[in-house]
Amino acid sequence: MSINELWDLALGMFYATGIWAINWKYPTMWAVAFFFLYLAIVKKFEPLLLLPIGFGIFLVNFPLVPLMGYNEEGVPHLIQFFYRYGLEWEIIPCVIFLGLGAMTDFGPLIANPKTLLIGAGAQLGVFVTFTGTVLAGFTLKEAASVGIIGGADGPTTIYLTQHLAPQLLGPNALAAYSYMAMVPLIQPPIMRLLTTREERLIRMKQLRPVSKRERILFPVIGAGIIAILVPAVMPLMGMFMLGNLMRESGVVSRLSDTAQNALMNIVTIFLGVSVGATMQADTFLSWKPLLIFGLGLVDFAVCTAGGILTVKVMNLFLKEKINPLIGSAGVSAVPMSARVSQIVGQQYDKKNHLLMHAMGPNLAGVIGSAAAAGMFIAMFD
Amino acid sequence: MRRHLLIFVLWALGASQCWSEDFLGVPLLPGGKVTSWTNDKAEVHYALPYEQILEFYKSHFTDNRDVKFRDWKGETYIEDHGASPWHSVRISKGQPVVTVTITRDSWAWILGTLALRFISVFVVLMFLYIGLSISGTVMSRLVTEAD
Repeated sequence: MSINELWDLALGMFYATGIWAINWKYPTMWAVAFFFLYLAIVKKFEPLLLLPIGFGIFLVNFPLVPLMGYNEEGVPHLIQFFYRYGLEWEIIPCVIFLGLGAMTDFGPLIANPKTLLIGAGAQLGVFVTFTGTVLAGFTLKEAASVGIIGGADGPTTIYLTQHLAPQLLGPNALAAYSYMAMVPLIQPPIMRLLTTREERLIRMKQLRPVSKRERILFPVIGAGIIAILVPAVMPLMGMFMLGNLMRESGVVSRLSDTAQNALMNIVTIFLGVSVGATMQADTFLSWKPLLIFGLGLVDFAVCTAGGILTVKVMNLFLKEKINPLIGSAGVSAVPMSARVSQIVGQQYDKKNHLLMHAMGPNLAGVIGSAAAAGMFIAMFD
Repeated sequence: MRRHLLIFVLWALGASQCWSEDFLGVPLLPGGKVTSWTNDKAEVHYALPYEQILEFYKSHFTDNRDVKFRDWKGETYIEDHGASPWHSVRISKGQPVVTVTITRDSWAWILGTLALRFISVFVVLMFLYIGLSISGTVMSRLVTEAD
């Protein structure tokens, strides 16, 4: 073998590596990936999602890596395969909702159904942010997908974004999960700002016990009403109510257990890594993700305020007053925001237990954000 | 028949008035009579078949994913969800005159639809509230009777 042939061979081997194609964009994306891995591993912020998302970002941001494209025969690469059949086909968010339904105890909401209105009021930020996002230069569909971040519901955000503005899937999902993890930091100042000391001390009557029949009826009634009024969101809510019916009926405990654990864990892995893999340097490094993070924060704040203000308005008409601190739980972020209501409440009265009361608006927030998503889908479809 | 002929003659006489090829970037099919032309809205009457006009706009917007066609009872409503300066094109299904109305994108529409949808979220949850309240009451009565 001549020296020239040896040189060509070495050159060929060099071009088969990714070294020659690395530019500044890749290390920038590695830094983004490490930031989210840090949040997940060190800070324990939503680790179930942020860890696979962070690693997904890391994996796809190397040149020549066959993960998120198609081979010469048009067959999808590994993560592209997960993405196409899981997210493009809008399957994973719905399966996650099945698991969430199977994990959810609607007792507090059934015992005090007027807290449903708090879940509606807490969607204020979704619609306010829509306006701000349009002003920032996004299209209407993009604005809807950014607005829903404030609903603090990851699967709903992913579902709506995939449906309306798939190009924003990565930043939107990241913003939603990051801010959901930061609820204990974002909400308390707003809660203190919008309530008086007297309001924070309001004690609420203990919730009535809820019968098994009521628990079984809830997903049936809920699915029926939502199917009639917001059919666009039934892929999500139908699965949610099915999961809940499996749980409450008590006759399919094996299915309920699978939906809550094994199935939920499997789809969470695929969801996280697929969402992370959408954030390739060429599409992610622009002004839009930064704006989305800024708008998402405003969105969360306005949604929190919306829930609290809704309670204050309701209190004008109610004989038995509601502690407005539970209004902040109207953003879904289950059960984190309900816990925040409890913690802030106990800072003023150690014997005031708000957790179960806050679970009502918390669960209403899940339904409310899905309803808001349905409104947007109906608007554009 | 005579009425149609009269309309056509009137049409032909008026068609030459103030013609432009597009309004806010939306093309106008030649041969129409402009009945209204302001900064925010243009209205043009055509003596052409509705299908021909619809086909013209369908072929124009064929590659635009931000444009949505909605087939309503009395008209076809074409809506833009992108960043174009126009908001909608309405094509009436009237005979013998088809009216094409193009409107500018407006904040009034955006804010109006958002307010309406926010209220709708309340309505959905209000219905759920009513449903739960009724079922709760019925269940409580049944339990009391059983006891």
